[in-house]
Amino acid sequence: MLNILFRRKVNTLTNTLKALRGWKLVKNLMFGAVGLLMLSALYAAFWRLLAYLETVQLIGPMLSWKLTSMVLLMTFSMVIVSSIIISMSTLYYSFDLKFLISCPLDLRSVFMDKALETVFYSSWTLVLAILPYIIALGRVKALGAGFYLSYLFLMVPFVMLAGAVGIFFSMLVMYAFPSSKTRDITWLLGSLSVAFVYVMFRFSKPEKLLRPDSLQVVAQYIQYLQSPTAPYMPSWWVTKAMVAYSAGHWGDFAVSAGVLTAAALLLYALIYFMSGRLYMRGFSGAQSSPRFRGNRRTLPEQRLAAAFPALRAYFTLYWKDRLMLLRDARYWSQIILIAALIAVYLFSIRQLPLDTADLKSLISFLNVGVAGFVMAAIGLRFTFPAVSLEGNSYWLLKSAPVTTASVLREKLTVSLLPSLLVGFILITISNRLLNADLFISVLSTFTILVAAVVITVMGIGFGAIFPDFNVENIHQLESSYGGFLYMAASMGYLALLVGAEAWPVQMHFAERLGRAHAWDMRALVFCAAVFLALNITALYLPWKLGLRSLEKHEI
Amino acid sequence: MIEINNLTKVFGSFKAVDGLNLRVEPGEIFGFLGPNGAGKTTTVKILSGIMRPTSGSVRVAGFDLAADPLAAKRAMAYIPDEPFVYPKLTGWEFMRFIGDLYSLPVSDQKKRIPELLAAFELEAHSGELLESYSHGMKQKLLIASVLLRRPKAVLFDEPTVGLDPKSIRRFKSLLLEIASAGAAVFMCTHILDMAEKLCHSVGIIYRGRLVARGTVAEVKKLASGAYGPRSLEDVFLELTE
Repeated sequence: MLNILFRRKVNTLTNTLKALRGWKLVKNLMFGAVGLLMLSALYAAFWRLLAYLETVQLIGPMLSWKLTSMVLLMTFSMVIVSSIIISMSTLYYSFDLKFLISCPLDLRSVFMDKALETVFYSSWTLVLAILPYIIALGRVKALGAGFYLSYLFLMVPFVMLAGAVGIFFSMLVMYAFPSSKTRDITWLLGSLSVAFVYVMFRFSKPEKLLRPDSLQVVAQYIQYLQSPTAPYMPSWWVTKAMVAYSAGHWGDFAVSAGVLTAAALLLYALIYFMSGRLYMRGFSGAQSSPRFRGNRRTLPEQRLAAAFPALRAYFTLYWKDRLMLLRDARYWSQIILIAALIAVYLFSIRQLPLDTADLKSLISFLNVGVAGFVMAAIGLRFTFPAVSLEGNSYWLLKSAPVTTASVLREKLTVSLLPSLLVGFILITISNRLLNADLFISVLSTFTILVAAVVITVMGIGFGAIFPDFNVENIHQLESSYGGFLYMAASMGYLALLVGAEAWPVQMHFAERLGRAHAWDMRALVFCAAVFLALNITALYLPWKLGLRSLEKHEI
Repeated sequence: MIEINNLTKVFGSFKAVDGLNLRVEPGEIFGFLGPNGAGKTTTVKILSGIMRPTSGSVRVAGFDLAADPLAAKRAMAYIPDEPFVYPKLTGWEFMRFIGDLYSLPVSDQKKRIPELLAAFELEAHSGELLESYSHGMKQKLLIASVLLRRPKAVLFDEPTVGLDPKSIRRFKSLLLEIASAGAAVFMCTHILDMAEKLCHSVGIIYRGRLVARGTVAEVKKLASGAYGPRSLEDVFLELTE
């Protein structure tokens, strides 16, 4: 029966590929080319790092294997958490599940079909992301094509195992607490775990691997390098197998690979068997909605609408969006991830090895670009999806007596305040951590506030240019073509923004270093004009194009 | 009043609606019939303003939908075939949302929303999130929201799908009430029996073209042959084969 289910996936894929014609094909090829470019950049960075590690006398090879074991451990943990989060949708809430379960199909086959889908969705980005690392490792250690083949052979049971752990966990949780509330709680806990792994990895200062002097006793350092990283985890079995392969110890390779494969097979046999007993109870419970009792109190926005009748439609849309956001667990899980991103960002700023006050001030200025990137990443999760998350209910607004422009304006204001706040906090704390001087502090704060407005407008604009009202979750929007273009456009804007201010900053440092007549008024006016033109264009174009696109959009 | 002039909608090389001309007077219930894919939903989507015509024009309550869309939309109410609503709002909040969006007086809303919820037996569920409502409950809520607005033109696309027999009967009487209050009702339906009994006039669309238009009696005559008077179903099948 599994083959029938598998065939439908093959048919879907074939039909999708066949439908790739004209502009759609060009769009996907462009997307693919940029992705390849980014992977190549990652490869170059990893190659430099690993090549450097290999040159460290005596401990070089140990260092790179230690790093590999850490990378694999991190990947293993991330796949587990991703599969927990994703399995809550794929195994219990997919659109096609009710149909599949009503069909004369073996329940275990349906479960395994959805389990494999979960493993794929929870691992493909991570597998792709570590591929440049593995290629660089193979090249630095001068290992042939056989190494990559053995890696591929090891990766299959490795990610299958990690995915199965997450799926098994979800199945047990849903069996014990068969309710849709469990999904929300699991999403929150899943996001907390990702945030925890991410923050812990950064706070463990992995850069100390490159600075042996940070561990006081050399013997202690070597012992640390030789010790297994989580010895009972599959990530260590993969590392051991790779080390054995590179040393030509075929017996050790076979043992590690055998243990890994046997563990994967055993776990799948277990979940296959258990799914027959546990899955239906969880699935059935997931179909029930949690009890919720709303009240009929007048909302603050409704009071404001009474005071300002001209803004009634705006306030109405605002309270609708506010209630929807507050009641949706998906947003809360995103907020946790963003909090982790900000914590790691500020920690990294604090760890920067900067010696002089000038260097610190210069980094404070360049930091505008990095803080802007963090804000764009936040915008990708909150602002960009705002239009699409109207979902199938968008017909209500489209047929209502409200203009598309007023809908977009309302969505903009929902995102704008948090965006300004995050930008302000990021730049103020990092300026303080870096002891930036007054000029740089004022300039960077002003710039980040302007950037916050522009990035938010761009988020709404791009979201309106590429709306998708049929999307099942935010992650699909983040990784969509529109999301990618939004990030690329934001990066381009930030680069130009920092570039437009580089000249005045250069004059400021020239003055600090004691040069007479450091300031050139004509240059200042020119930079101000470029700054103004850039921001007006970045505000106007995405907004106008988004508005036009959404007005034309038919549902 | 709903006035449709030379309405055409083309998707690529496919003409979904082809030169449609119609007029639904205030107080009239118009049944729009046709087989699947004939162009009914496309027409009603264009009338509601969520889809643009390739050519032609629509006037609702005297307002041109293209030139003055807000005034036209304020005067009409639309219910699609799939009752998609905001899942994270409660029934009460949804009614308030519609009321506020269509600028209805708050005092009027507070008086009429409980009455309407009670009329559709939704009062006990009004504090629950809409994600927990069944298809029929959502449909009833949307019908209640239409009545809240007191529109001059109403567009229904298969309004009774998912409703229980009691609600269908209630809906039929409400439809007559809406029309008697002076609203023009445009209803797409596959239930020919309901169209025959409720509608003042019907139109049959086939492959995008209006192939019959008139009162039920007039349309029946169009296909009356040697076998004497026939049902609307017979006429429908003959004209759309």
